Amino acid sequence: MVRLVRGESEMEGRVEEVWTLVEDDDQLEPWPAEPELEVLGRPATRQDGAARAGGRVRYTVDVRLPGMLHAAVLRSPRANARVTRLDLDAALAVPGVRAALGPDTELSLSVRSALLRSEPGYAGQPIAVVAADTPRQATAGVAALALELEELPPAVDRDAVLAEQRFTADPAEIERGDVDAALAAADVRVELELETPDHLQTALEPHAAVAAWDGENLTAWISTQGIYAAREELALTFGLPKAAVRVVSEYIGGGFGAKQGAGTEALLAAELARRTGHPVRLVNDRHAEQLDGGRRAWTRQSVRLGARRDGTIVAVDADAVIDQGRGGWVPPVLVPALTLYRCENARALTFPLRTNRRAQNAFRAPGVVEGTACFEQAVDELAAALGLDPLELRRLNHVDVDQASGDPYSSKQLLACYDRAAELAGWSGRDSLRAPQPDGLLRGMGCASQIWWGGGGPPAHASVRLDADAQARVVTGIQDIGTGTYTTARVVAAQELGLPIEHVTVVGGDTAHETYGPVAGGSMTTPSVMPAVRSAAGKVRRTLLQLAGDVLEIAAADLELVGGRIRSRDGALDVDVLEVTSKLGDATIDGSGSRGPNAPGSRVQTFGCQIARVAVDPAVGEVRVEQVVAVHDVGRVVNPLGASSQIEGGVLQGVAFALSEELVVDPTTGVPVNATLDDYKLPTIADTPEIVAELVHVPDPTLPHVGAKGLGEPPIIPTAAAIANAFAHATGRRARALPLTRARVLEALR
Amino acid sequence: MPICSVRPVRITLDVNGERHELDAEDDRRLLDVLRDDLGLLGAKLACGEGACGACAVLLDGRPVASCILLAAAAEGRAVTTIEGIGRDGPTRLQEAFVAEDALQCGFCTPGQVVTATALLAATSSPSREEIRAAMAGNLCRCGAYPKIERAILRAAGSGG
Repeated sequence: MVRLVRGESEMEGRVEEVWTLVEDDDQLEPWPAEPELEVLGRPATRQDGAARAGGRVRYTVDVRLPGMLHAAVLRSPRANARVTRLDLDAALAVPGVRAALGPDTELSLSVRSALLRSEPGYAGQPIAVVAADTPRQATAGVAALALELEELPPAVDRDAVLAEQRFTADPAEIERGDVDAALAAADVRVELELETPDHLQTALEPHAAVAAWDGENLTAWISTQGIYAAREELALTFGLPKAAVRVVSEYIGGGFGAKQGAGTEALLAAELARRTGHPVRLVNDRHAEQLDGGRRAWTRQSVRLGARRDGTIVAVDADAVIDQGRGGWVPPVLVPALTLYRCENARALTFPLRTNRRAQNAFRAPGVVEGTACFEQAVDELAAALGLDPLELRRLNHVDVDQASGDPYSSKQLLACYDRAAELAGWSGRDSLRAPQPDGLLRGMGCASQIWWGGGGPPAHASVRLDADAQARVVTGIQDIGTGTYTTARVVAAQELGLPIEHVTVVGGDTAHETYGPVAGGSMTTPSVMPAVRSAAGKVRRTLLQLAGDVLEIAAADLELVGGRIRSRDGALDVDVLEVTSKLGDATIDGSGSRGPNAPGSRVQTFGCQIARVAVDPAVGEVRVEQVVAVHDVGRVVNPLGASSQIEGGVLQGVAFALSEELVVDPTTGVPVNATLDDYKLPTIADTPEIVAELVHVPDPTLPHVGAKGLGEPPIIPTAAAIANAFAHATGRRARALPLTRARVLEALR
Repeated sequence: MPICSVRPVRITLDVNGERHELDAEDDRRLLDVLRDDLGLLGAKLACGEGACGACAVLLDGRPVASCILLAAAAEGRAVTTIEGIGRDGPTRLQEAFVAEDALQCGFCTPGQVVTATALLAATSSPSREEIRAAMAGNLCRCGAYPKIERAILRAAGSGG
């Protein structure tokens, strides 16, 4: 039966109420809790692995259309300025240039969005755009614009902006209990103040779009994490029905949160394409991408903790100054402080600064990476003040109830994560690391905990079609930004269908399928979409068995389908599935599925623990991470091979957040000085520590059909805190800011 | 309104064993000629300054950053792209990349495979340190590094 139900939709902690169409499916048996079934839980290589390794996968930057024009964007060279001269006519006079748009150009967009600005508020903000027959002509067109600016003083000094109370939104306070009284009554108090850096997503495929019109129909190839979000944005902006817009994004060269929706690139490309009557390609160059592709916001946080002598945390008092730049939503920086441990008295105060930097946007676990980096260092300081083992302090303050809402967690295996991580890292011997080392380095080991959402929810849909060759095609609305979502869906479908995985092909990344899937973000894809995939596959399996009953003259209830064989439960009959499907001829067996709501009354969250071992060279201030042990609870593990890749990648981004990545801005001009890949220090293979990844496999009992939570975000969250805690264990010092550059390390050791 | 003085030249390139003659401005990058003139889209532009390795191709068997190499400078040399490496079916190295899941978004993967192919041609059984030294110029933002290392070791172990 099809129903419309009202429920909550959550992404990264932001909850909204939505109506959802649900096709009930109560005929699916819960899968057993075992980690490995025939296909599910076993390592599966990527469906498109060979194509990717062969360089045959096509990304948005690879799209080539006949008559396609190339766009180039003029970006502000200053952080705060007013345009005094911009010669669009001169650009249009350049051979090959077909269109030039500036801040005053009347655009065809029905919803006026300020894509091009005459008063740019950050370095890299788009001012004008030119489309021409060749990239070279487009660049010449931009040069011909002969931009002149009146420079205005940039607001980049955070202390000054804070003193002037320039905010993007009102400072917000959340409090439960009586924090001041609890702090005053505590036996032990610690306080820690730390800064975290501006951190750039830096997907290797930059933001990119190609737009083409056919009458009043628009097709846009976009490097986006959300094809349906992009379609909605384009339809709304250009005043079109959704059906007139097609968004294609089958393969994306990384996103990490920065590519949600259509983006400026697709809106400008579509506008230029509409004006010129030609397809238009707009691809950021690297400098533009590092200036304007996205940014995890700089923070300065201070945390005060109070505890009883026995280790019970009685007060958490945290505040965060967040450099929002030109705006954006305020990331949940202090959620870890409010929810990681049991504590009746907690307060969080956030100050969203408005500066002349690009608006902050999502970067893998936005807010929570920064918040955990600071809060979990404060927890270690508390352990030191109490003379307690840091892991023991965390165990002591473990909680199975969400501290904010009072709801119980649906499943929480954090204690098991602690135990397993400690075992794998050799935690019990950590203090021996501090003995004098033959190589003269200082060694230490530190831990940190992780909390994140990741329960997903509706809406998400899927359909499955099985043909006479017993080949199943799974249609989804998801896109693969590199996490292996198509392969995850392939595993789920193959398991439910009872077919070998090679019989299943998953498609997505194209709104022409009209099968909705959520944005690839918030660790939502697996928990949201896989139940719909399983439901669709289950319908096909049941129909197939019913048809098998007709062909084999046995009651369908007595038949099962495993590994491509149809068997009677008494074992008397065992035939290849082709015996039945071959009789379909040109007919197919079809099924559709949708994601129902999560069970009410509990909170679905992901958890984990990481332990880092570092070596510090006190002579030069270099920190090397030697090992990271990462043990996480994400419910059922669908594909352990892909899951381990997600963990390793998250840990590596966390290592670089702790040690090397930082956008540096000239304090007098507000212009970034390292917005290139040469100077913005991404980790390399030579920086890679040993990473020991494990998942505590306990399916979440409240998540429908599959029991899998999301895994995209969790592994990046605790890494930096674990490294900083290991650094403190090794040296007895804490740096006042991340990343732990040589200068900061030497300052801390002085 | 020329930005700088460029002049058309005739360039003869040997790419994946095939000879191509083309007219191009003398400041064209090899990467642009490969992608835009020859339609070989495997090599990627990611940084444009030779800092990331996504555009790697082999020049007489050695990996180079084709985003900072003039096309004219490749005349008389053998250029091999990712398309040339997998032409007769996937190599052991490419199979190892798939088996070990040594790729995520895959955007850097052609460059990783090109550079690792050169490594294995020069050093049949590289050590972990040799792999790290040879591959350190190929960035992978998804962080597939542990599995890239394993894939190269796996391919070498099978005699690749």
